[in-house]
Amino acid sequence: MKETFTSVLGKLRKLGASYGEIRAQKNNNTFVTVRDGQVEAITLATETGAAIRVLAENAWGFSTTNSLEQPSLEKSANSALKMAKVAGKSVKETVRLASAKAVEDAVKVPVKKDPREIPIATKTKNLLKINKTCFNFDKRIKSVTTNYADLATEQTLATTDGIFIEQEKMFVWNYCWVTGKSSGIMASARDETGAHGYELFDLEPPEKIAERVSKKVTQQLEARSPKSGLHPAIIGTDIVGVLAHEALGHICEADLALSGSAVMGKTGEKIASEKVTIYDSALIPQGFGAIKYDDEGVPGQKTLLVQNGILVGFMHNRETAGKMNAAPTGNARAQDFRFPPLIRMRNTCFAKGDYTFEELLEDIEFGYFLEAFRGGEANLDGTFTVGVQSAFEIVKGELGQPVRNAGISGNTLETLKQVDACGKDFGLEAGRCGKGQDMFASSGGPSIRVKGILIGGA
Amino acid sequence: MDFMKLCREAIEAAAKSGAEEAEALVMNRHTAGVEIERAEIKTCSDFTDAGIGVRTIKDKKIGFAYTNMLTSEEVKKTARKAVKACDAGRVDKNWRQLPETKDYPLVRGTFDRRISEVTSDETVLLCQRMMAAAHEIDKRVLPAFGGVKVLVQGVVCVNTSGVEVEDKGTALVCVLETMAKSETQVSPVCYEIEASRKYEPDPEWVGREAGRLAIESTNVGKAEAGKFPVLLDPFALQLMLTYTLVQSVRGDIVFRGRSVFKDKIGKKVAGENINIYDDGTLAGGLQSGKTDMEGVPTQKTPIIQDGILQGFFYDNYWARLEGKESTGNAGRGGGGLSLPPYGTTPSIRPTNVVLEAGKANENELIREVGNGYYVRSVQGAHQSNPETGEFSVALAPAWRIENGEITKAVKGVMITGNAYDMIKNISLLGKETRQIQTLIAPKVVVSELNVVTK
Repeated sequence: MKETFTSVLGKLRKLGASYGEIRAQKNNNTFVTVRDGQVEAITLATETGAAIRVLAENAWGFSTTNSLEQPSLEKSANSALKMAKVAGKSVKETVRLASAKAVEDAVKVPVKKDPREIPIATKTKNLLKINKTCFNFDKRIKSVTTNYADLATEQTLATTDGIFIEQEKMFVWNYCWVTGKSSGIMASARDETGAHGYELFDLEPPEKIAERVSKKVTQQLEARSPKSGLHPAIIGTDIVGVLAHEALGHICEADLALSGSAVMGKTGEKIASEKVTIYDSALIPQGFGAIKYDDEGVPGQKTLLVQNGILVGFMHNRETAGKMNAAPTGNARAQDFRFPPLIRMRNTCFAKGDYTFEELLEDIEFGYFLEAFRGGEANLDGTFTVGVQSAFEIVKGELGQPVRNAGISGNTLETLKQVDACGKDFGLEAGRCGKGQDMFASSGGPSIRVKGILIGGA
Repeated sequence: MDFMKLCREAIEAAAKSGAEEAEALVMNRHTAGVEIERAEIKTCSDFTDAGIGVRTIKDKKIGFAYTNMLTSEEVKKTARKAVKACDAGRVDKNWRQLPETKDYPLVRGTFDRRISEVTSDETVLLCQRMMAAAHEIDKRVLPAFGGVKVLVQGVVCVNTSGVEVEDKGTALVCVLETMAKSETQVSPVCYEIEASRKYEPDPEWVGREAGRLAIESTNVGKAEAGKFPVLLDPFALQLMLTYTLVQSVRGDIVFRGRSVFKDKIGKKVAGENINIYDDGTLAGGLQSGKTDMEGVPTQKTPIIQDGILQGFFYDNYWARLEGKESTGNAGRGGGGLSLPPYGTTPSIRPTNVVLEAGKANENELIREVGNGYYVRSVQGAHQSNPETGEFSVALAPAWRIENGEITKAVKGVMITGNAYDMIKNISLLGKETRQIQTLIAPKVVVSELNVVTK
């Protein structure tokens, strides 16, 4: 394959490309859905394809092909080159890619259990066990859906600057949505877990997943709506990562920062309280966003974004790093060969502090402990929202009544200044992030306390 | 490539491997266009993604396999793999049979040859016109993202119950996301979009509107908390209804006891001024076509008439389970992992959901609000609770309405409420509708929503 790729890339160079990249993949995927104890269609997939990206005349051309044969790759490469030249006619800005080492490497994912070697019957059995355990947990549980996927990719990346990396990617993902009903009240909860190998179900046994999500549903059936307004809150370990991801992460993606996000031009300035340190790391092995190399061949690393309240860095690809005179951080990731790489987060976390959970609680007269989330969204102006699935009131320093369907919102530059203490506990949640493409990532951190955050109750 | 022939080969191979029923669906999507980044046309792309999904049934066990390698040999291999997936599955007592062949409606305005002939140079030109129009509104407008995209897609569906159907469609999309900065304020990302099945682009309109929204968002005033009437734009309405109401009228959600509308057919669930239907046959509709994604003809399905619940939408599986007819609402793809349409089994999806227009013009709508808010779009709607209808969303962008006039923009404001109560409290509907993704709706005035501020 190497010879073919080198030949195609060589021709691109000769025809005037300043940079070219071929990312070829062979994917083997399995999907199983179990709905209320019923196994839905088991899905088996085999795909192959290559994404070709070309930089010429300061613009990008992008094309894909389903065949890895040389004539198809050449046709696709020529199309990408032509596209770049079409787009380049109007570009005024010069594109300079930050240099990347001409690495040659072959990378295996260090998994204990390769999902491709696990019989489908085992996968199905585990999902049925989750369903059964949920229904047995409480008679108020009315509906359980479990979506399982394992995706195994063999990727070859070759670039005109000598990068040639054969890298495996593996994801095992499980998502449950459980609904309960009691005297006219309906409530639901989600649970999402992921690992790189099938050891996911050793770390998170089906019974544990089922009990965790069922407990959240029954809790909500007894919960009341929160009081809307500005309140102090403790943001728990299962939700703090979403805050790191939505409130800070997105606006620190250099492509979004350059487009005028709320943190652009604020490097070296204090944007958060001194208790806040936030990083995005590819080097947390159990994290769903752990990668050795990104999809431009840059090594994964730990990237500090905020250190003791000061904005210190952005997440880059080679283009934004070149533009901002920074080093690329290994954040260029693509969903699959149908998409070009974009700046995406990996494992985004708040750093730990030294408070116990009780110490975080004790100073709060009235507020909320936010325990689990439903989703989040960010806007470039720093407005973020996080849907809260389960929460508790805090009354006079102690946890009180459960609360349901709270949503929080704020502006990054205001909210992060309100963080006045970080716990010594730590959690890491696997999830997906949408930015035109879906990407697996993790986020996490300790329990943190904010002096005031806007809570919207129904 | 003869996709019909490939589909026939797939179902034959499945039958040979022991499948009692089989279905093959080819989806072929060609996408071309340009993308904007920071006021420059930075990327141009042109590619095709085609693949086949084969669904097989054996002893009431369902299997599915897909591939994007469209050779006769690989397709047969995929069919055999689907049968293998059957063998690994469990019996589904609820399985009846695949859809049977029926007559398809004549659906107009879904394919325009002119769109399929658009060149990359033309998309660049359209994109330049769009950005120039945004700049003309005000030099402070930054066209941050967006672009012009052409889609040409074909679908072929063949099954062992006699279905053999082919459909094709086109779309042209111009979208612009803008931001603007004043001395003290940064606007949220504002956007305008024009999506059409026909070649009739108006990139200047998209540019001007996106520019105007960003500039008007920087003139920020103080927000007031409390209960207020709110004017919702179709953009906001689409987000707020898609994750609540549209979920709760899905036949599977109703059957599984997860819908507030279970056992409510014939009962009043909305104001008398509310009429909602789903119509996959609508001329020029963004989601229109003669067939759904398992070969069932599309149709018009009443959901709410004069506030009374009429029915739900179904695909083949859930309709047969309830002894009903499919409403032609089988969709494919997505599934939380952005899979291609040929990569998943069918599930129930809306086509074009129409909320019928009222009679009010723009001034009458604003006067109806009197003192309240105008909400163009919201953030966080996908975090709503579909079972209960409860939502709490941030507004971006939104403006105050004071004494019957739109005044200053507001920031850092949330609205909370319940989507199922909201449809009972719509006091006025606008006379003009537009389509945002799956929803066609006018602007509406909700008589009271809870506004939360800092």
